Amino acid sequence: MAEMSRRSFLKTTGGAAAAAAAVPMLAGNWHQLLAADSPGYFEREFGIGDALCRKVLAAALAKGGDYADLYFEHTIGNWIILEDGKVSRAFSDVALGVGIRTVKGDQVGYGFTQELEEKAMLKAAAVAATIAAGGPAAAPGQLSWMKAADHYPLKKLLTDVPLAAKLPLVQAVNDRCFALSPLVIKVNASFHDQQKRIMVVTADGTKSEDLQPRDYLTAFVIAEKGGRKEQAAWNLGGRRDFSYFTPGAVEAIAARAVGDAVQLFDAVQPPAGEMPVVLGPGVTGILLHEAIGHGMEADFNRKKTSTFSTMIGKQVAEPFVTILDDGTIPGMLGSINFDDEGIPGQRTALVENGILTSYMHDRISARFYKVKPTGNGRRESYQHYVQPRMRNTYMLAGPAAADDVIRAAGRGIYVQNVSNGQVKIGEGDFAFYVSQGRMIEDGRLGAPIKDINIMGNGPKMLRNISMVAGDLEFSQGGTGACGKGGQAVPVGFGQPTCLVKSLTVGGVRS
Amino acid sequence: MNKEMLALCDWVTKTAKAAGAEACVVNLDANRTVEVSYRDHKPENIKEASTKALNVQVFVAGRYSVQSTSDLRKEALRDFLGNAVAATRLLAEDPFRSLPDPKYYEGRAGTDLELVDPAYASFSPENRHDMAKALEGACLQAGGDKVVSVTSQVQDGSQESVMVASNGMVGYSRGTYYAPFAQMTAQDAGDRRPNGYSYAVTVHRGDLPKPEEIGARAARRTLDLLGAKKIKTETLPVIIENQNVGRLLNGVLGAMFGRSIQQKRSFLADKKGQAIASRHLTLVDDPLIPKGLGSRHFDGDGFAARRRVMVEAGVLKEFFVDWYYSRKLGWEPTTGSPSNLVVPPGTRSVAEIMKDLGRGILITGFIGGNANPTTGDTSIGIIGTLFEKGEPVQAVSEMNIADNYLKFLPKLVEVANDPFPYSSTRFPSMVFENVVVSGL
Repeated sequence: MAEMSRRSFLKTTGGAAAAAAAVPMLAGNWHQLLAADSPGYFEREFGIGDALCRKVLAAALAKGGDYADLYFEHTIGNWIILEDGKVSRAFSDVALGVGIRTVKGDQVGYGFTQELEEKAMLKAAAVAATIAAGGPAAAPGQLSWMKAADHYPLKKLLTDVPLAAKLPLVQAVNDRCFALSPLVIKVNASFHDQQKRIMVVTADGTKSEDLQPRDYLTAFVIAEKGGRKEQAAWNLGGRRDFSYFTPGAVEAIAARAVGDAVQLFDAVQPPAGEMPVVLGPGVTGILLHEAIGHGMEADFNRKKTSTFSTMIGKQVAEPFVTILDDGTIPGMLGSINFDDEGIPGQRTALVENGILTSYMHDRISARFYKVKPTGNGRRESYQHYVQPRMRNTYMLAGPAAADDVIRAAGRGIYVQNVSNGQVKIGEGDFAFYVSQGRMIEDGRLGAPIKDINIMGNGPKMLRNISMVAGDLEFSQGGTGACGKGGQAVPVGFGQPTCLVKSLTVGGVRS
Repeated sequence: MNKEMLALCDWVTKTAKAAGAEACVVNLDANRTVEVSYRDHKPENIKEASTKALNVQVFVAGRYSVQSTSDLRKEALRDFLGNAVAATRLLAEDPFRSLPDPKYYEGRAGTDLELVDPAYASFSPENRHDMAKALEGACLQAGGDKVVSVTSQVQDGSQESVMVASNGMVGYSRGTYYAPFAQMTAQDAGDRRPNGYSYAVTVHRGDLPKPEEIGARAARRTLDLLGAKKIKTETLPVIIENQNVGRLLNGVLGAMFGRSIQQKRSFLADKKGQAIASRHLTLVDDPLIPKGLGSRHFDGDGFAARRRVMVEAGVLKEFFVDWYYSRKLGWEPTTGSPSNLVVPPGTRSVAEIMKDLGRGILITGFIGGNANPTTGDTSIGIIGTLFEKGEPVQAVSEMNIADNYLKFLPKLVEVANDPFPYSSTRFPSMVFENVVVSGL
């Protein structure tokens, strides 16, 4: 689900490896952290006080600039991995650092350091300051805390969940997968949990703090029948408390992964060419993420590099189509209490009743368009600067019944699971990869199909949405990562059953 | 060798053992990255920072974990290692997990891989800004009145790494790189704004093309996308441009790893010694190319790096098998990861081949797509140019190719004479015949 990544070429060179800052997973005093509603984590744990923040902000604005902010991050991530029946591998990675940004108009200076000490921070601030070349701008006086609603309350910190409690969970996924079908020959299962603490201190005099959990439990299954092998995977997660991972969740993951893999033995060769496409409910919302989401990120529109840059206020879809980007859905992977520049999480209508309504803004684009930021300013880590990014992107339920939507398609394909996608922002051309689907013949679901890339054009696709059902479903996955400009951020998807009159299906049967 | 870094790695090894580890592998990395981008004749972003990371693989009572930290103070590290050992004890025992047999460490090549540009220290902020301006200026000029937006970027960096395994392996590497980049967005009919780009990546500054060339090429590549349309679904020859071949072959490489084979997710698992492609495909993993972006003296297991022919005239010869999966498979290990992947170039240019083919599609970009390593099925969107009588006639978009690799690779009929120099995958352009290209 990446736009054309400008820097993807660097990933193979090994030259650009930005090492993650890290401290140990089980070490020290992180177990005594206070709850998220008691701000001041970075002062308590690392001695980051207001006076120090003001001094660093002053250094960031030493040569002028319109704005500056500090982004403190402490992230603890753990992975445990089961292979060949045993949880015999674990990884942990902890990031600690601060990113310092100076903004002048649409220009950004950025420095960061892994050392939360005054000298190192002032050095990073001096790097950021080089974007301006004038006299000093005013740094803030008093700093005061911002408040926001909590969209992912935790009963217990993920860092307080002992390793011994996670191990049986992963083992249970493995055991259920094998129990569900004799065709299963290999299972990989894993559990990942991440606890990200951030504090954003701005030159406007605000401080905001957030604790963002992220976790998933996943199964990857290989099944074999008559010498032929098929693969399928499923996961559940998001910004969840550990109590989310019940025996019911284990069962759901195993049943879906095994069911999907076994279904593929009946798969037929997928067709090629233009035809109607029905999106099943849930994770197929990746189509919206690619077809409209990226193109509505305001940085591309401010630079006029998006195909949507002249369409605000115009009718782009039928009146029953409403598409939202929303940071406030409880427990979903793309939800955020604050974005990464201290703006509260919120809901933004991209398309409302068929009219293109709003771009997704960070502070820079909001200033450019003279609107309020929409809480879409996000970044991968303290090592990265902010960009307008999506949160959870989905279409609201429509008036049709799901069966009628499938019937109306006549002959086409039905999309059940999507693994990845990509878009060219300027052309609006997008693609998404169907790992699992069904043929639609005579208005009814037919044989399974798989491994098909589907192509379309964003504005054209919006016009071609001819039916939307009432069965909006949010993807409950924990692995969705969106890439842009070399940065990955967690995002969510939602979709009701929906008919797109025509897309190009990249199968092999012409 | 960086003596300070080595001393810290030795201390970590000793301290981990004192905490109860039977063995460990320590990797210490220090990186510096600088980035400058330009838009509208002024800096858009300036970024600069240094990072350090310590990564420790711990072996305790037949158990294994990997943990990392950037907090390199000794008192913090002592706690870190103690906790790493304690956490590892909770995992299941794995009889296949061990340090490599030290015999694989031996025989490291003595050649200088020239991975450090001695002039790197003198690459100044002014040099970066001048390069970014030159990239932008050339792209704007070549793009002319079609330009909607141009962005240029110069990224460069240096890195230093030490690796120590507690059974005697010690490795050190250093490197530098430069990565100039330019991209342009052009105004096309209606609301279409095609975006194209060009870049280079080299270890030595002296090997970079002129920034003006990269900028002008970004503009040309963007203008080539104007007027793109899909054509009807058709069976055609296609030429995949050198810099895009890697993305298509990723699906093949993914099935060549020891893990994929042992975990039954490789369509190539039982194909060793058999033809998987036409005779035109030879694939060599060569870690010892001077100035190569994937060059190295030792791999992730610490094995002495050496050249291996992976595919020879279409026949699959080797897999990428690291120490751990070699033990699980009961096979001899090779190396766990590719270094520089080289496909020996052919003799003709893409232009000559186009003339010969008459009608076909030159694929200059991919969009979306994926590959299923278990079955070999793949499907991917294409962007490019339809040519007739060897001459470009129309840009194409919203089209797709799909096949199973075991059917697709035998359709390779020629490789061109243009290996892509700015990547660790040095693939030339490749020509495939009888490919179903789906569109209208």
